[in-house]
Amino acid sequence: MKDRIIMHTLKRVRRAFVLLSLSLLVSLPPAVSVADTTGKPQATQYKGLDQQAQSLKKDVMELNRDLLALEEELLFPASTQVAVFVSMDIGSLFELDAVEVKLDDKVVAHYLYTQREIEALRRGGVHRLYLGNLRVGKHELVAFFTGKGPHDRDYRRGATLEFEKLTEPRYIELQIKDVTRNLQPEFRVKEWQ
Amino acid sequence: MNRHPPAHKTRLTALVAALCACAMLGTVAHGSARRNESQQVKDLHYGEVLFYFYQQQYFSAITNLLTAQQFQRIDHHRDEAELLLGGMYLSYGLHLQAGEIFQRLIDAGAAPEIRDRAWFYLAKIRYQRGYLAEAGDAISRIHDALPGELEEERQLLQAQLLMERKDYRQASEVLARMHGQSAWAQYGRYNLGVALIKAGDSAAGTALLEEVGGKPAADEELKSLKDKANVALGYAFLRDAAPARAQARLEQVRLDGLLSNKALLGVGWAYSAQNQNQQSLVPWTELQKRNVIDSAVQEALLALPYALGRLGAYQQSLQQYETAIAVYTNEMARIDSSMMAIRSGKMVDAILQNDAVNEMGWFWRMREVPDAPESRYLIHLMAGHDFQEALKNYRDLRFLTQNLDYWTNNIGIFGDMLATRRLAYEKRLPRVLQDERSRNFSELPARRDRYAAELVRIENTNDVMGLANDKEQQLLARLSRVESTLKHLSGHEDISAAQDKYRLLQGLLFWDVSSDYVPRLWQARKELKTLDQNLAETGTRREALMRAQADAPRTFENFSARIVQLRGRVTQLQSRVQAMASAHGHFLEELAVAELTAQKERLAAYLTQARFAVAQMYDEAANAGRGTK
Repeated sequence: MKDRIIMHTLKRVRRAFVLLSLSLLVSLPPAVSVADTTGKPQATQYKGLDQQAQSLKKDVMELNRDLLALEEELLFPASTQVAVFVSMDIGSLFELDAVEVKLDDKVVAHYLYTQREIEALRRGGVHRLYLGNLRVGKHELVAFFTGKGPHDRDYRRGATLEFEKLTEPRYIELQIKDVTRNLQPEFRVKEWQ
Repeated sequence: MNRHPPAHKTRLTALVAALCACAMLGTVAHGSARRNESQQVKDLHYGEVLFYFYQQQYFSAITNLLTAQQFQRIDHHRDEAELLLGGMYLSYGLHLQAGEIFQRLIDAGAAPEIRDRAWFYLAKIRYQRGYLAEAGDAISRIHDALPGELEEERQLLQAQLLMERKDYRQASEVLARMHGQSAWAQYGRYNLGVALIKAGDSAAGTALLEEVGGKPAADEELKSLKDKANVALGYAFLRDAAPARAQARLEQVRLDGLLSNKALLGVGWAYSAQNQNQQSLVPWTELQKRNVIDSAVQEALLALPYALGRLGAYQQSLQQYETAIAVYTNEMARIDSSMMAIRSGKMVDAILQNDAVNEMGWFWRMREVPDAPESRYLIHLMAGHDFQEALKNYRDLRFLTQNLDYWTNNIGIFGDMLATRRLAYEKRLPRVLQDERSRNFSELPARRDRYAAELVRIENTNDVMGLANDKEQQLLARLSRVESTLKHLSGHEDISAAQDKYRLLQGLLFWDVSSDYVPRLWQARKELKTLDQNLAETGTRREALMRAQADAPRTFENFSARIVQLRGRVTQLQSRVQAMASAHGHFLEELAVAELTAQKERLAAYLTQARFAVAQMYDEAANAGRGTK
């Protein structure tokens, strides 16, 4: 008798468990989360908060744009502005460590690249290494590239450019390229207009 | 000069795909994005944007892109840059701005491939915001296959839209066209399977889930999906009173996966439903050793004594119920103290205390659970979408606070620099303008003209001695003095020898100058040309100086006004960001407290059931005792 009653009680408890367990299936979300339209108070409340946050982010981004423009116009006016960029095409023959730039025999930039930056360069990113001011007239730029060349050998190469600074901004690109013909890296300095 | 700089390889398309995929699908596409389209970077500043973009420094990428657009430096990549910006905006949740960009690209008649992608992103935005008909319209306007993984994502979106319309047959056809091994296709089939079961078509839904759950999975992502499908199937079979099939599916779930507790619980129930109570003890006993904050473990604490009761081990069953009661009571007390800790407002900062805030980012995920008592109850909540999204926003707001602090400092420096520059200008310009060389500039053109006229005269009259140099001029002057002296002495003395010498020297001098006449004339013309260039340059500089004199005050005023205006914007945004961060912190706390409340309520329900079962057992035992007397 005792056993039967306990069994009865337990059966009732068990039914409750099975229902709880099956509720897991219902609670399983779709693998691809989509817009929550269940109307939960939290979701609604958060939607408003999220929209305000996004609007705020946009305002800060636009403020940054205006501040960056002001900074550039104030510190590096077009009439004296010179910018030096580094790019890499393929870059499998040269493992870049650092680039040093001299303008009129004065070191203006020395930059050590991280692996993440090198990967970004390899994928087509262009790094603005230096932004500064130069007087109108003739100038000389010398760039030194250090790293590992073919066969894991230490490599240091230089490239030079004589250029004339006019009243427009001057952009100079330091290019690192693979030359498959002789399996050597090549370093070039180019002027942009 | 190089007007056509060399090509750099980029894969914009797939990147935008990855970006936008992440907006919709969390981190599903992030790791598997493949770059399969290349193009040339024709503007250095666009390359600079990509440099940040590829390093996932999206805030810097966006602000650089906006600045480059303002200076019109990326005209060669106008549409691509817009597409990239739209994608980045979209991933930040800036739907409105992203939508405007894509619509603008379409309206402006962008190239077909860009237009197709723009329609696709518009479809996604509309879908995310619940405009399903409009999303369907946008997706129907895509003409060609999209590049790379975007095409699979498009197919998945199309299938999702069909599912929303309950058109499961067509959704199934769309998914069938997708590559079998693709993660997108697997997710699509899983979703369709769940949707069909919910809609009552168990057979079709089960078949789809069995397909997902039975496929070998190569990576963690697909292994998790496989577990999910098998757990869903297992519980569906349990509901449909097919415990053997349920057991078979649930036993496929990994023991160390996130769903292992649920699977173990289900396996226990599958055994139990087949009257294999002895076997059901195995998974439930295993669960009993696991972390009690998991709902499956909590349920197992009740299931275990139930099975023991069925096996006739009443004493052990009673002990297990009492153990469960003690555990539930203890956990509820802990939850109460955790709620108090959360309400003290330290939870969010504890979560982010080891996080270096150097960029905003939607790929960011919380890596470490904070070392705090309340963390153990919030693990599932913290891994959930709502919490992560709000936490990401909170983290972004912290980044914005730093960003604005940086500008507050810098804008002060700008103001100081401008003041210094204005002072230096006011001091120097009058000095430069008053300089003698500057004042005499007006005479220079006339002097140049005299020089040029003299050169013409020398050339026309063939005046060789006109090109004599200084030394020769001195010699000529000395010879002239000698000539006068000789004239004066003539008739008084015999000076024939001296006169001969004079003529010789004069002849020699003339010879020297005339033999060098042509190169000297060329040199003189060259010098005139250089003089003209120098004069022109000096004139330009002088004009610039004069212009600066006129414009500088206006320029300074303009800068000054911009600084004041921007400083005001920085200050205003700082207070908005602060308020928003505080609101997000509060929201996260509320979310955590709500989660803990739900957990406490669940424990309370279990506690009631356990107490009820114990009471029933005692009652029955007492009644049985009375009966035997």
